[in-house]
Amino acid sequence: MSLPELKLRGVSHAYALKTVLEGIDLDLPAGRVLALVGPSGCGKTTLLHLCAGLLVLRTGAIENGFRNPAVMFQQPRLLPWKTARDNIALGLKAAGLPQAECISRAQAMGHAVGLDAAALDQFPHTLSGGMQSRAALARALVLEPDLLLMDEPFSALDIGLKAQLHRQLLDHLARRSLAVLMITHDLMEAVRLADSVLVMASDPGRIAHRIEIAAPALTRDDAFVHRTTAELLQAPAVRECFGLEAPPDAGMACEGSAAMVVRIGSAQPRGKKGFSC
Amino acid sequence: MSLLRAWLAGLPAYLWSGWGAVASLLLLLAAWEGASAHYGALILPDPASTFATLHRLIDSGAAWPELAVTARRALAGLALAVATGSLLGLAAGVSMTASMMSRPLVTVLLGTPPIAWLVLAMLWFGADDGTPVFTVFIACFPIVFVGALQGARTLDHHLKDMARVFRLPLAMKLFDLYLPHVVSYLFPAWITALGTSWKVVVMAELLSSADGVGAALAVSRSHLDTAATLAWIGAVVGLLLLVEYLLLEPVKRDVERWREVGHEPA
Repeated sequence: MSLPELKLRGVSHAYALKTVLEGIDLDLPAGRVLALVGPSGCGKTTLLHLCAGLLVLRTGAIENGFRNPAVMFQQPRLLPWKTARDNIALGLKAAGLPQAECISRAQAMGHAVGLDAAALDQFPHTLSGGMQSRAALARALVLEPDLLLMDEPFSALDIGLKAQLHRQLLDHLARRSLAVLMITHDLMEAVRLADSVLVMASDPGRIAHRIEIAAPALTRDDAFVHRTTAELLQAPAVRECFGLEAPPDAGMACEGSAAMVVRIGSAQPRGKKGFSC
Repeated sequence: MSLLRAWLAGLPAYLWSGWGAVASLLLLLAAWEGASAHYGALILPDPASTFATLHRLIDSGAAWPELAVTARRALAGLALAVATGSLLGLAAGVSMTASMMSRPLVTVLLGTPPIAWLVLAMLWFGADDGTPVFTVFIACFPIVFVGALQGARTLDHHLKDMARVFRLPLAMKLFDLYLPHVVSYLFPAWITALGTSWKVVVMAELLSSADGVGAALAVSRSHLDTAATLAWIGAVVGLLLLVEYLLLEPVKRDVERWREVGHEPA
C-alpha cells in the first residue's frame, strides 16, 4: 500500500460572486510539513476549511488519503465549561476510548506541551492565551493524527511563546511521522517549520511562489531562518504578494541585503520599514 | 450524590456571604416599622404584629394547607411551562425560520397582561385548579421559551466546527456542547419563571379560587385584617426567597462554575 497523501487539483472557491481561490494545486505526502504563506484575506483559511471538510468543495478535486486528520484553529476554541484536561481529552472521548485512558493520555500530552497539573485543572477562561494555545495543540496532537491542519495557530502569541510551541511541535514531529499543512502570514514561522513553503497571492487566492527547504527543521538555527526568510523576501513574486514595493536595487546579490534585513527587522519580516532604506 | 455533597460543603461559606443581603432586609424592616408608626396599625401594622399573626397562622395549622395548595398550582403551571417552553424554544432556535416566526408571537404573549389570561381562564376552566395552573403556565411559558431560543441561537459556530473536525458523536455534541451552553441560558429563565409563577398564582387564586393563599388574602381583605394580609404576603415571599436562595442559587453556582471570572489573566 502506498503512503497516504493529500492532493489538491484545480481547487477553486467563491463566496457568492467573489472568487477567493483559483486553480490551487498542491501535494502533501505523508510526513512532510507544508506551509502556506500569504497576506490576510488571500483565501488561506478557506483552503484549509476545504481540506478539513468544513466547506463543501465546488470546483476541483481534493483527495485526502489520510485516515486520522486533526485541526488546530486560529483561536484555541476550547469548550469553556470543560477543564483544560477534559478539553484535551475531547477527541479521545469522541473516539470512544475508556474514560481512564482518555484522562491519562490527555494528562501526558498536556505535560508534554508544558501544562502542569494545576493548569490542567483550570477552566479555559482562567488560562492565559499561551496556555490556551498549548491546550489546543495538545488536543490535536493527543489524537496521534497522521495529518495536522493548522490555521495560524500561533499568530496571537509573543515570539517567546511562539518559539516554545514551535519547539514542542518539532519535538513531536521528530517522534512521529506526521504530515502538516500549516497556514501562516509569518514567513519566519513558515521557514522555521516547513519543508516546503508556498506563497499565496490574493484576489483571487492562488499559489505564486514555492521554495523547498532541504535542511531538517530541527537543525535550523535563528541565523538560518533569518537568512532564508530574507532570501525569500527578495523574490519579486513574494514581494508583490505582500504588497511590498520592489527593492531599490533589484539586481543586487541577495547576501548583502539579506544581512541588512536581519539586522533591522528580524522579528517582523513583513514590516515595510526594514526595506525602505 | 456528589452534587448534594458539594451543595452541603458550600453552604456555610454561601450563608456567610449572605450578611449583606440580611443587612438590606433589616433596613427594609426598619423602614416598614417607621411607616407603620407614622400611618397607624390599621393602614400598616408593624413587623412584630405581622410576624406574630403569621406565627399564629402557622401554629394553628391554617397556613400550611393553603400554602401547599398554592405551591401545587404554581409548580404544576411552572412545570408545564418549563417542559413545553424549553422544548419548543430549543426547537425554534435550531431553525432560523421558526425563530423569526415565533419572535412576534412571543412578544404578544409577553405583552398580554396575566390578568387578561386569568379572565379567559375563568371562562374556560371555571373555579377549579385549571384556572390558576393555566394562568401560571401562560405567564411563564414565553419567559422560558425566549431563554431556550436564545440559548440555541447563540451557540458559537466556531465551536460547532470544532466539534465536527474532532468527530464528536451526536450524544457528545448534545451533552458536551449544546446542553452546557443552553443550560446557561435556560437556568436564569427558569428562575425568573419561578418568581413569576409564584406571583401569578396568588393573583389567580385571589379572583378565582376558594382555597390557597390568594383566597386567604381575599378573606383577610374582606375582614379588613391588614395584619393577616401582610402575614400571608410574608409567608409567600419568604417561601420564594427560601427556595431561590437555598436551593436554586447554589445549584446555579455549581452548574456555572466555569463562568466564574476570577479576573485572572485572560
